[in-house]
Amino acid sequence: MSSEAQTDSSDAPTPGVRVEARGLCRNFGTHVALDTLDLRIEPGQAFGLLGANGAGKTTFIRLVTGVLLPSSGELWVDGHSPVTESAQVRRRLGYVAETSRIYPDLRVRSFLRFAGGARELNGAELESAVERVIDRFHLEDVAGRWIGQLSKGFQQRVSLAQAFLHDPPLLIVDEPTSGLDPLQQQEVRDVLRGLRGNHTLILCTHDLTEAQELTERAAVLHRGRLVAEGPTGEVLGGTDPLRLFRGEAAA
Amino acid sequence: MTRIRALIWKELTVLFGSPLAYLVLTLVVLVAGLIFFDHLRAYNQILFLFQSSTMGGFETDTIPDHVNLRDTVFFPVMENLGLTLIAVIPMITMRVFAEERSRGTDELLVTTHLSPNEIVLGKFAVTYFFVVVAMLASFVYPAMAILQGGIGLQHLLSVFMGLTMLALALASIGLVCSAWTSSQLIAVVASWAIGYVLWDWSWLTPFLREAEALARFFDGISMHPRYSTFAEGIVNLANLAYFVGVAIVAYALARSALDWKRIAG
Repeated sequence: MSSEAQTDSSDAPTPGVRVEARGLCRNFGTHVALDTLDLRIEPGQAFGLLGANGAGKTTFIRLVTGVLLPSSGELWVDGHSPVTESAQVRRRLGYVAETSRIYPDLRVRSFLRFAGGARELNGAELESAVERVIDRFHLEDVAGRWIGQLSKGFQQRVSLAQAFLHDPPLLIVDEPTSGLDPLQQQEVRDVLRGLRGNHTLILCTHDLTEAQELTERAAVLHRGRLVAEGPTGEVLGGTDPLRLFRGEAAA
Repeated sequence: MTRIRALIWKELTVLFGSPLAYLVLTLVVLVAGLIFFDHLRAYNQILFLFQSSTMGGFETDTIPDHVNLRDTVFFPVMENLGLTLIAVIPMITMRVFAEERSRGTDELLVTTHLSPNEIVLGKFAVTYFFVVVAMLASFVYPAMAILQGGIGLQHLLSVFMGLTMLALALASIGLVCSAWTSSQLIAVVASWAIGYVLWDWSWLTPFLREAEALARFFDGISMHPRYSTFAEGIVNLANLAYFVGVAIVAYALARSALDWKRIAG
């Protein structure tokens, strides 16, 4: 089951996948980044992962993507473990990292061709996928430009576009509007809003407005522990939602 | 195949899209040319000295046997070229993994369908390709010395094989250093250090007369004696195995760096 090269017979895209964590822990030396986290994200759900810097949000998504291994506990993505079945998990996910972690020395179209090829798209299928995401994320005007010469907003769109090439059922987006100006933030949010419904979306953010706008359910982490979880409106609807960010119980 | 082809294409585009690749190629050709012409100049001076001292002109019998193109130009050129490679090759390998780590694009790579083995294999393949191109470019002058010196085509092939194997081994060491750090500076300095340390341990042999096994061990890990054998026109399987072994160990270490990052973060 754990073979990297093994192909999965149930690879057909679905409207979304379930992500489930049970007693998930991750330590860096003596520092506990994630402490016995229990979380269940349903297929097709737009889920907000909230918390202050250092709360453990990025650690959680790195565990889901298989970039990191958990110290203990269980984690399942559509019934597959990112630890032992990372190839199956990677087939199901599109990942947009915190800052635009893409190659500045490639042109947009070339980069998208590479990202598609790395996800086993080739020939006409690859060209069609590249054109589809260029169209979907409004990259027509910059498709021939070097990524390093683009504004942060466009770089973030390119980053989102690469995650959608293979139309994954699970999309993980880490701080998508961090460092962007208000107009660029709105552009990225519009794009993400358009994705709701057909994919499971895990949105990692410390922006409460963004979470309320884009997600239907949310969890708040504080120093690696789950402080609150429920419908986004309820979690953030109290008199002082920032209390949760400080690790205090909801009012 | 689609995945690794995409990675190789990306690596080639990034490599040849950067001025560093052309700078390194130019440097290799330039230094090889300087070394060659410097030795050729010295050779001509020696010939001139013999001509002056004997007043016998350039008659073959007035020049001692040890003054010939092979011993005065070719062997010293190969020796110096080997040392030059230790300095130059890490300049191209330093960025291969370290740059991905420092930019954070390594996370993008590992979340695509590329397996860790494919990532390492693709990066090694492109670096090896560049190294072979650089060796072909730098080999023009030694090849001239061989052909003009009447040393022969078989010898030429043996020397090229030795030079390329040495360069590939040094590239493998450089790739390991790059895989274990996000700093290109640390990668390049570590590669230089390991390259020079592994170059030649023959100076230690006189101090290890009491410990022959240890002396044999140090001799066994030295690159220089193995490389020299190729330069003499001898293709020895043990020496070939040594360089292939360095590449295999390097591949395994670079692969484990990716696993280690998942564990340590």
